[in-house]
Amino acid sequence: MALSTTRRGSSYLFLIPAFVLYSLFVVYPLFTGLTYSVFSWKGTLRDTFVGFANYAGLLTESFRDQLLPALGHNFLLFAGTMLVQNTLGLAFALALSRVRRGKRALQTMFALPYLVNPLVIGYLWTLLLSPTFGPVNSLLRGVGLEGLAMPWLGDPATALPTVIVITTWQWVGFPMLLFSAALGGIPQEYAEAARTDGATSWQVFRRITLPLLRPAMATITILSFIGSMNTFALVYALGGSNGAPAGATDVLGLLFYRAAFASGDVNALGTSSALAVFMFTFIFGSTLLLERVLRRRT
Amino acid sequence: MRLAPVAAAIVLSVAACAPSSPSTPAQSQDKVTLSVWGWGPEENYDKMFAAYEKLNPGVDVDARSFTTATEYDTILSTGLAGDSGPDLAWLRAGANLQPLVEAGRLLPLETSDVPGLKDYDEGVLRSAKGDKDGKVYGVPFAVQTLQVIYNKKIFADHGITPPRTWDDMIAAAEKLKANKIVPFAFGGKDDWMLPIVASIFGTATWGGDTFLDDVKAKRKTFTDPAFVEGIDQLNKLKPYFPDDVAGVSYTDAQILFSSGKAAMFPGGLWELNFFAENAKGVELGVFTPPAPKGGQGMMPGFTDGSYGISAKTRHKAEALKFAAWLASKDYGQLFTDTLSIFSAVPGVKPTDPLLEEVSTTFDKQGATYFMNEFAYGNPSSQTVFSKSLQEMLLGRITAEQAAEQLDKSVATWL
Amino acid sequence: MRTLWIKLLLWGYAVFSMAPLVVMVLSSFRPTSEIFDEPIGLPTGSAFDNYAKAWTEASFSTYVVNSVIVVVSAVLLGAVVSLLAAYPLGRRRFGGRGLLTAYFISGMTLPAHLGVLPLFYLLESMGLVDSLLGLILVYAAGSIPFNVFVLTAFFRQLPYELDEAASLDGAGPLATFWHVMLPLVRPAIATVIVFQFVPLWNDFFYPLVLMRDESKLTLPVGLTHFFGEFQNDWGTLFAGLVMTTIPLVVLFVLATRQIVAGLTAGMNR
Repeated sequence: MALSTTRRGSSYLFLIPAFVLYSLFVVYPLFTGLTYSVFSWKGTLRDTFVGFANYAGLLTESFRDQLLPALGHNFLLFAGTMLVQNTLGLAFALALSRVRRGKRALQTMFALPYLVNPLVIGYLWTLLLSPTFGPVNSLLRGVGLEGLAMPWLGDPATALPTVIVITTWQWVGFPMLLFSAALGGIPQEYAEAARTDGATSWQVFRRITLPLLRPAMATITILSFIGSMNTFALVYALGGSNGAPAGATDVLGLLFYRAAFASGDVNALGTSSALAVFMFTFIFGSTLLLERVLRRRT
Repeated sequence: MRLAPVAAAIVLSVAACAPSSPSTPAQSQDKVTLSVWGWGPEENYDKMFAAYEKLNPGVDVDARSFTTATEYDTILSTGLAGDSGPDLAWLRAGANLQPLVEAGRLLPLETSDVPGLKDYDEGVLRSAKGDKDGKVYGVPFAVQTLQVIYNKKIFADHGITPPRTWDDMIAAAEKLKANKIVPFAFGGKDDWMLPIVASIFGTATWGGDTFLDDVKAKRKTFTDPAFVEGIDQLNKLKPYFPDDVAGVSYTDAQILFSSGKAAMFPGGLWELNFFAENAKGVELGVFTPPAPKGGQGMMPGFTDGSYGISAKTRHKAEALKFAAWLASKDYGQLFTDTLSIFSAVPGVKPTDPLLEEVSTTFDKQGATYFMNEFAYGNPSSQTVFSKSLQEMLLGRITAEQAAEQLDKSVATWL
Repeated sequence: MRTLWIKLLLWGYAVFSMAPLVVMVLSSFRPTSEIFDEPIGLPTGSAFDNYAKAWTEASFSTYVVNSVIVVVSAVLLGAVVSLLAAYPLGRRRFGGRGLLTAYFISGMTLPAHLGVLPLFYLLESMGLVDSLLGLILVYAAGSIPFNVFVLTAFFRQLPYELDEAASLDGAGPLATFWHVMLPLVRPAIATVIVFQFVPLWNDFFYPLVLMRDESKLTLPVGLTHFFGEFQNDWGTLFAGLVMTTIPLVVLFVLATRQIVAGLTAGMNR
């Protein structure tokens, strides 16, 4: 009894520094920000308590017309990230586990784009993909793929897939490193034992490697979900605050940014805070749900 | 419960290691420092304000420049709300000024303190007024005009002169296109450019300020055939824009023009400075597109911003005196000569010949840029309409539908 | 044959991965007028002009010093407090553990810019606006959710016999943490440090809003000044971009081994 009490007490002691720092500089401002949503605002001056009026504002037609497509694009980004970025990350991790020479160099090169400022990345890729000057299109024309030379970021049909490709380019090092690490943690004997029993390499992968990668997959899925739902800097740099072209790359983060900082609306703080509450509830709820589902299976 | 004292202790210790005097730089007793926030290159302001410091030895004007991006609005609104803000600041025009006015962050300016204000053109001054109380909150500093900038050499090489009629302009564009030169360098990817270009080619068609006044008075709406026809000019000119125009960025368009691959650039007067620096070999000219149905075109323009005084300033008298200088011809002349932009101060004549030409045209054919007058709401009508125009250029909706979307958005706040 | 294909695929992707960065570096050595004429090309004569201009005109040296001070302090502070918190959250049973974990991790799911106005008021009341310390505290606090998320997972996966052995030896919680746990999670620390370092190094929003004095700005703000002031001068712009990225590349190359080791130690047991 005595032992467990001191242990319990000391657990809290360990938590205090992080708790104070985090509560003071993250939770308190954010929570205060959330309470802003039930007031009407005159610029940065709090006006009157309005209950749920700001939330009702989110449901008006003009706002809804932007909110729903933006949310849809967030989900498409998540799906794209899972399908392209994380699958590729796994493939690279598997491939790298068979390579001896140049492994570190390859890993570094794959992960390097992550280091570049998202604003710079947007700037660079806009230049590369420009329909007038971009080298990507002149390259495609040069090798006879005339049909593929198109305004990748300027056509609503290709803009979002292009964003997914660029996101993958930037982030693929992350799942790759996590999967590499997870693969490194799987004892070689398992696979060898299976192989001596006559299992094909696909069977080894399917039956042994994949199940053992589940914890890593859960972590990556959750981080990808949060990342896709909160994405801002890259889409802002690629398509501006309105999600050009024609809103094809509009996401919740941009919508919040416009509502809070770029509308010139006197009540911008009220409206944007209500939107943030909605986003937080939705994203946090979904994350908890996702975590439940994913962790239960492992 | 036991966490509270610990938290308080940490807060205190953190506060203790903070620097004791937050932000005011050390200054001598008798000299007053006025801090001014704005956007744009800082050196220019230091140069201009030095003239004031010479006239007023007791005052030190400290200019501080932030980025041109939207962040300036956040920086300014937090700065003015707290105690570390400036004495004077550049304010946005029109809609974006209102949050500061309504929060009471700014000092209303009276003509008794700033006499120069009474000579200002009403249209210019309106952009610095509170929408609700009608008081003036800033000294407007710049007027921007929107027009077509052209490459004189390319025009001469192809025997083209600035068009007198709409048909002239189309014929010139045809000729350029046949010679593999992009007639109009215009990028529709950065959507803030779309209403600007729409107004350059369309303002004459919908009838300038008369139409805007009618919309404000609810006698007409944006679904009016004249407005639809006005923005439809963009569709008609589409063959003379770069290919895939909705995917071409603003900078691409600038490069097309500065590298001589395009002959004309529809845009704001501020582009002249850009091209003067980056298209050194290119001799620049400007014209206003003629009205499609005959007659002279209209040159839209808007007030860019103004100098306001913080309600919290500790040097009210000095700030007002400085504001009075900012509204004077002396400053106006200094401004236009230093920056090659129009000063908003009435009666100031630019020395640059090209600017002077624009100035003369604007005096005769000027109109109000429609979008700045209708940039209210959340989502802002400007955002909504920029997107609609982009969809129109992509061929996904018609000019009628784009106009309807603007009308619907404007109806939410007008 | 098969490994050849694998190698081909990997090196092919490496080219794709590096090409845009190579373009950035090449452009930083070219005069702006040439970039306008021909966006992609090889450097010509006056190679270092852009760098000289970027370094002097944008007072990069001040920005670099400030960035290093702020980011290094914030990352270390964030890592230390998160380590302390993650240890009980990942390994010990006590009331409210699940709730506290959720409390910390929920910070990851909020749009960070939401709190900027209250944060500004808070810092102002503490006299921390326009102070590097204020920025350090904000950054350190902001890194806690991700750090706790990752580190808790690491601690959870260390074998449980370790604690038992330690407590049988009579070690208290702090001694167990210090002598037994810390050495084991050291590679994990490298991981969170790098993954926090990068976004903080690249952040420009907070310094823009919280800093006033020119001499206290960090590198990314210098970059936005760049975007504003040199938007016409792409050569200089690219030189600035390369200079801001290089410290990260050095850090990352040095830390790759640690990261991989760290992830290996923590991901799977």
